[in-house]
Amino acid sequence: MVQASKEIINNTTALCDFLKTMIIDTLKLEEIAADDIETDAPLFKEGLGLDSIDALELVVAIENIFGVIIEDEDVGKKAFASVDALAKFIQENYGEGE
Amino acid sequence: MQWVETETTVRFNEVDEWGMAWYGHYMAWFEVGRMALLGRFDLMPKQIVELGYVAPVIHLECDFKHPAACGDKIIIRTTAIKPETASLIFKFQIRLKESATLLAQGETTQVLLTTDKKMIYRLSGELEKRINRLIDFCRKD
Repeated sequence: MVQASKEIINNTTALCDFLKTMIIDTLKLEEIAADDIETDAPLFKEGLGLDSIDALELVVAIENIFGVIIEDEDVGKKAFASVDALAKFIQENYGEGE
Repeated sequence: MQWVETETTVRFNEVDEWGMAWYGHYMAWFEVGRMALLGRFDLMPKQIVELGYVAPVIHLECDFKHPAACGDKIIIRTTAIKPETASLIFKFQIRLKESATLLAQGETTQVLLTTDKKMIYRLSGELEKRINRLIDFCRKD
């Protein structure tokens, strides 16, 4: 699993790009390029169209890469609102478990 | 891998006009197998609800290999695996008792919701303990 450096985590634009690639790799979205994912569009349903199983897989990837825990759907609603929201969520919660 | 085995008999009302067990009934047999396994680990549906959760099936697959006839004694074999995500996967085999011929094999995936229908992304507490006991049992050779 690719690790994210602190420089990437602290740089929102770089982190968003990293997350787009992570989403594509984790969910094996072969027909989507990182540039196709809008930074402020919803990841689920009307946006990228992900479903609840995709959420489970993203949660594991985020925990492995960033050590950031998304406990349940309530937290997920906020964290998965968009790539931008996910980046901010990771920045806010990174390092809390250390 | 450890499988729990349950025996049943194909009933008259379970065969179709061609004398073969109707494909939909295999899902009911899977359920018999699942209950036999879950009952050993205090994970029966009612007990999961008592812990504050429900576990709906969100994926099902089944390959049919050989037909069963009315009166056939069949063995339902069930095991569970734990994926990396907060879900549960059961694997099933249905075999003829006499010859061990494989009739069908399949798999179901369940996710976990709280009883107020919020999906959980990580297992915790008593539910995790019981699921881990189930998985450890199934993992044994």
